Amino acid sequence: MIHRNDGQWSLRLVLLACLSCCVVATSAEIPGASPSAPVTAAAPLVAAASDLKFALGEIVEQFRRETGIAARVSLGSSGNFARQIEQGAPFEIFLSADEAYVRRLFDAGLTRDDGSVYAIGRLVFFVPTGSPLDPDPRLASLRRRLDGGQPGRFAIANPEHAPYGRAARQVLQALGLWNAVRPQLVIGENVAQAAQFASDGNTEGGLIAHSLALAPELGRRGRFVLVPDELHEPLRQRMVLLRNASPAAVRLYDFMHAPASRAVFERYGFALPLD
Amino acid sequence: MEHPGALHVRLRQAEPFPLEVDFEAPAGSVTALFGPSGSGKTTVLRTIAGLHRPPEAEVASGGQRWTDTAAQLMVPTHRRPVGFVFQDYALFPHLTVREQVALALDRPRGAPRAARVDELLRITRLEGLGDRRPGALSGGQQQRVAIARALARDPAVLLLDEPFAAVDWDLRESLRQELMALQRATSLSMVIVTHDFEDVVKLASHVVLLERGTVTAAGTVETLTASNRLPGLDRHREPAVALDARVAGHDAARQLTHLEARELRVSVPTIHSPVGAPVRIQIPAREVILANRRPEGLSLHNVLEAEVLAVEPSSHEALRLVHLVVGHTRLLSLVTVDAVQKLALAPGVPILALIKAVSVEAFA
Amino acid sequence: MDWTALGLSLRLGLVTVALLVPLSFLLARWLAFARFRGRGLVEALVALPLILPPTVVGFYLLTAFGRQSWFGRAFESLAGQPLVFSFEGLVLASLLVNLPFAVQPMQNALAAIPRNVRDAARCCGLSPLGVIRRIELPLALPGIATAVVLTFAHTLGEFGVVLMVGGSIPGETRTIAIAIYDRVQAFDEHGAGIMALVLLVLSVAALWITNAMARRMSRHT
Repeated sequence: MIHRNDGQWSLRLVLLACLSCCVVATSAEIPGASPSAPVTAAAPLVAAASDLKFALGEIVEQFRRETGIAARVSLGSSGNFARQIEQGAPFEIFLSADEAYVRRLFDAGLTRDDGSVYAIGRLVFFVPTGSPLDPDPRLASLRRRLDGGQPGRFAIANPEHAPYGRAARQVLQALGLWNAVRPQLVIGENVAQAAQFASDGNTEGGLIAHSLALAPELGRRGRFVLVPDELHEPLRQRMVLLRNASPAAVRLYDFMHAPASRAVFERYGFALPLD
Repeated sequence: MEHPGALHVRLRQAEPFPLEVDFEAPAGSVTALFGPSGSGKTTVLRTIAGLHRPPEAEVASGGQRWTDTAAQLMVPTHRRPVGFVFQDYALFPHLTVREQVALALDRPRGAPRAARVDELLRITRLEGLGDRRPGALSGGQQQRVAIARALARDPAVLLLDEPFAAVDWDLRESLRQELMALQRATSLSMVIVTHDFEDVVKLASHVVLLERGTVTAAGTVETLTASNRLPGLDRHREPAVALDARVAGHDAARQLTHLEARELRVSVPTIHSPVGAPVRIQIPAREVILANRRPEGLSLHNVLEAEVLAVEPSSHEALRLVHLVVGHTRLLSLVTVDAVQKLALAPGVPILALIKAVSVEAFA
Repeated sequence: MDWTALGLSLRLGLVTVALLVPLSFLLARWLAFARFRGRGLVEALVALPLILPPTVVGFYLLTAFGRQSWFGRAFESLAGQPLVFSFEGLVLASLLVNLPFAVQPMQNALAAIPRNVRDAARCCGLSPLGVIRRIELPLALPGIATAVVLTFAHTLGEFGVVLMVGGSIPGETRTIAIAIYDRVQAFDEHGAGIMALVLLVLSVAALWITNAMARRMSRHT
């Protein structure tokens, strides 16, 4: 029976497949409806600088335990997010690693207000286990390596749009190492990727966020030391509510200002703003 | 001037190559489009089917206009009652024989359709092959499927593009016979493209000669062969008259069959056709001996009273082509210049035409 | 294992196939059968996504459909949300990027049908639609199957364009390819490895099934 009209049978199968595709497709057309969002309120969408990976993770988990609302977090470089939000990305809360980006969005009328500084970020010199480098505050070991003639790769975040990358460049320029180290640089798209490059053994080290270096996942891969903050412009990290923020997002925003949250930021090496 | 039931074809184009054609194929006739490759024959066929649209064209069948560029009329191919047998058969590779034929039958549906499919398979001698796919068929079988498929349309005209071109000798003959039988049984109008004049002689009642895009001669096969007005064929073909005859009777004792083409009566070695059956005969000019006295003691069977119509030069300088007429039927004889002088042949002179029984080619 | 991301990728793949394959069939048909002067140019344009880096495509799509463009603004006023950074935006990008994968196999399969066979179909009384349904579709089926599989598999793996046009919004535009990238950046190699394996198995299965189907279908032509 199968052999008799193979052409027709296969044709029907393909048509059936296309039809079921259409059915699935139309059922998926409800914007924002995610089958795994477990709550009745729409899960707030958060764009956060990637140095907040661990700190924010804890805060968001704590928020979920208390309110039952599970936030959806996207991590990346602050500059990237600012651009996406300008393009209409539907984020509701933006935690930037540099307040300049928040100001830009505020000036464009995309935010509710000009936000608030939630932390001051610090840069560290991270060295993975087995690296010929030694972590020291003024990067002397790096200088020696560069002078020595056979330097290895060095990781930083992208200075164009990642605040920690810009700070790293400022540090290297201040120390007069920028031109020498430039050919050796491995650029992470954001500071979390830079941290990954700095710690997986494929580079000799890098300049990354203090908050990331403090996490156990990173801590066990190497050693680090704080870089003096006078070597770069301060990393004033500012968060803000976007215009389209839902009530759930507002709740989360307020939660991030609560003492419990501030304690988390502190634990992850952020200096708190004096206010 | 259009005749009812006839297929009227007129077309003219300059691109992609020049072609200018105007002819009529009477209803029930077999018209051969004859010419060398590249003369435009297939284009004419495609125009009749509606697959090709020249800048200027008129195609009408039985008074129904199919193409008329002047009136912006172009009946789409699928609405024309034509059957087309392509040179490479163009069978549908994914369908069985039965399915191919059924596809071409859009009416009736259901059970009567199955019966009609069976009938078509029977007519084309394809019984038992209904469930095969083209890949499992021989060349001759494939052609018969193409014919069955074309007939399923109940066409007003059957178009065949070089039906015998890709086929070996034995198959050729049997296919020709089948096509002849089919035509006699159905009186279907046919237009056959061919570059082999034997097909014309054996099958066609009318012929249109095409050379490099223009019609060089058109008319019945009988008239054209008898007048020997066949441009372009002189080099390839010896003069011979093709006639439509009938079986007048059989002589079993002498193993002869008597044939009649109007006033012209000839005897040939026995052919197995019933009395009254149509037979096409061809009498080569070189086989016709002329005499001014009835001979005796010869093996000859056919002695015909004729009159000389004209004496024409032939391709060879020492030969002459003599046009004769037997009653109203024309005949040709190829003789030497010397013979012409010897017999004092001139228009109006009565003469006897002698033809061996064996020399008459009979196609039943 | 990010089931949302996987579901998103599968949905994107299916939607792209459902929308693109029928449209591409018509385009493939036109390219296979019609004779017109600009044909070479159209074929080149169709093939463009094969050689352009996905980021280039993504960049131009953002420019053409982002908030700064009239198209993006029109969409936003109609739908209430911007086209970029949405699933719909991904679908649009996916349709454009997968064009050659859908068109070329079908075009080749259709062009392989001898002209006389299609003409014979018309002489058998089939209307143009009938010719498509009874002759072209069945004979081009292996090409159609290839187009479906290639489009689906390619969409599953699409990264550059999705990232640029969609961002990485969980539940909306974070497909499984993006999610894997995310996991690696989050030092979760284990999670990334699981998802990568699932994606690999799915792709191989899809290819295997379609190859089997294509072989079956072409057995009798």
